[in-house]
Amino acid sequence: MKRTNWLMLLLITTSILQSGCQHNHTHHIRITGAFALYPLTVKWAEEYKKAHPNVEFDISAGGAGKGLTDVLAGADDLGMFSRELTPEEAKKGIWKIAVAKDAVLPTINARNPLFKLIQKRGLTKTDFQRIFLSGKSLAWDSILDISSSIPIHVYIRSDASGAAETWAKYLGVKQENLKGVGIYGDPGLADAVIKDIYGVGFNNAIYIYDLQTGKKREGIEVIPIDINNNGKIDAEELFYDDFNQVLQAISDGRYPSPPARPLYFISKGKPQDPDLIAFLKWVLTYGQSFVKSAGYVPLPEETIQSSLQTFNQP
Amino acid sequence: MLIATLTISVLPLCIGLGLLIESIPLLQKYHFWRLISHTAWSPMEGKFGMLSFIAGTLWVTGLSMCMAVPVSLLAAIYITQYAKPWLMGIIHPIMDILAGIPSVVYGVGGVLIIVPWISEKLAPAMGYSSSGYCILAGGIILAVMSIPYILHLQIEIFRTVPVELKEVSLSLGASYWETIKYVLLKQTRKGIIASIGLGISKSLGETIAVLMVVGNVPQIPANVFQGAYPLPALLANNYGEMMSIPLYLAALMFAGLLLFLIICLCNSISTWIIYNMHQV
Repeated sequence: MKRTNWLMLLLITTSILQSGCQHNHTHHIRITGAFALYPLTVKWAEEYKKAHPNVEFDISAGGAGKGLTDVLAGADDLGMFSRELTPEEAKKGIWKIAVAKDAVLPTINARNPLFKLIQKRGLTKTDFQRIFLSGKSLAWDSILDISSSIPIHVYIRSDASGAAETWAKYLGVKQENLKGVGIYGDPGLADAVIKDIYGVGFNNAIYIYDLQTGKKREGIEVIPIDINNNGKIDAEELFYDDFNQVLQAISDGRYPSPPARPLYFISKGKPQDPDLIAFLKWVLTYGQSFVKSAGYVPLPEETIQSSLQTFNQP
Repeated sequence: MLIATLTISVLPLCIGLGLLIESIPLLQKYHFWRLISHTAWSPMEGKFGMLSFIAGTLWVTGLSMCMAVPVSLLAAIYITQYAKPWLMGIIHPIMDILAGIPSVVYGVGGVLIIVPWISEKLAPAMGYSSSGYCILAGGIILAVMSIPYILHLQIEIFRTVPVELKEVSLSLGASYWETIKYVLLKQTRKGIIASIGLGISKSLGETIAVLMVVGNVPQIPANVFQGAYPLPALLANNYGEMMSIPLYLAALMFAGLLLFLIICLCNSISTWIIYNMHQV
């Protein structure tokens, strides 16, 4: 009995002491949304905290759709967003700023028996439309006019995702029109293609390449896009070997947009919280120096300036 | 105590009503039968055909029961009638562990083990080409998940059969297996039906483990190596996207309502079967 009393007293004292310690006010910034922007946001948060130890970040990835829902529901301060807003969404008073650029790339299993040929020829937009929109079980002979019974297993995203929406936009449709086996999340989709020798899919660039080496992850390859439709991959269409080359191609527009696209932070109405505004301004100024090293394409200077202007507008 | 009981009794009614009220905007625009008899699912174009989702739900649940029920029944008979008592002591904690593993762990296990096994070994051996994300994978996982529940109930039921009954049967010259077949199973028919009903309810509502392996393809599967899209997976995957498309939320709530109705229907059928046994 005596011991319990002591224990109670100890608990009460510690709780009182703890509540007294919360003088230095910490501020939480909650961010959810697109897988595409997740690694960069984590990097930014790390760097920002070095200079502002009183700011705490809760960051989680769950697809662009989840980011938007959470922002609208007030469960979040910021959403990571990797596609354009639909007119209906824009009407809800969503405020957005572009913070970086990246691209969605079509992927294929590296052990696919036809990969060497596909790499030489590339696929045109029409070929991709046939693969991702037909919904039938296809073999490669219907795409490459060769006699081959090698099947195509198409993988797409099951969650509401910016990557899927952007890839669909490139093919001229909406995410719901893509036909294939739906897998949750960017990492999941990459793994599904790595595991299935006949697998074909699409991924955000950052989930295909290894940042440290700049090479593609083991087992996954990129299908080169035949942009000028001449039935082969020319020198200026060949930039998939190394991550830096890809980023360069996105930056100078050789890789088409979409599937290249800007990435956004969104919030419900213009942010009012000074801590949040400070973080966003930091992202657009000093934070841009981490974009390249994190595996993204920095925004053009005029875009950044116009984003910064939005803070000064009423 | 009365209030507590009343609350519990009213709950299903409230849930059903809530789902119905939420799905009214969709039902005003389209006829109920049209919604559940069409397969075209394209919310952007205002097509909300639910048939492929209903088919996916029934396929996966049906497959899982075809696997789980015979296995559980045979295991329950063996454990209660043939095995040494110490086996029961081992089986109980094993079942508790199986029942306690979070479904997302089953899902990950399915993606890592069952999906590659189906796509590399089983489907080619049967002459199909499959990615492994299919209703069979969903069925296998659901079977593993529902076995502990079914088995637990069946073991309890078999233990309620009085020893005297079996003794009488044996003394009349019936063999041990005949006794089990004609006395034990006849005595416990109702309980076995009820345990299957419990398993079906468990399978119908399971979401995360199934959506990780079933492929999420809105189609009516032609064979077990094709993907499908069960109703709970539809809800879980799309609840984040509903604000930009008119009627999407109503359609998702309608999917919930359909699931609710299917579960009510299954329960009614098993109750009806048990009730009819009384009449005999």
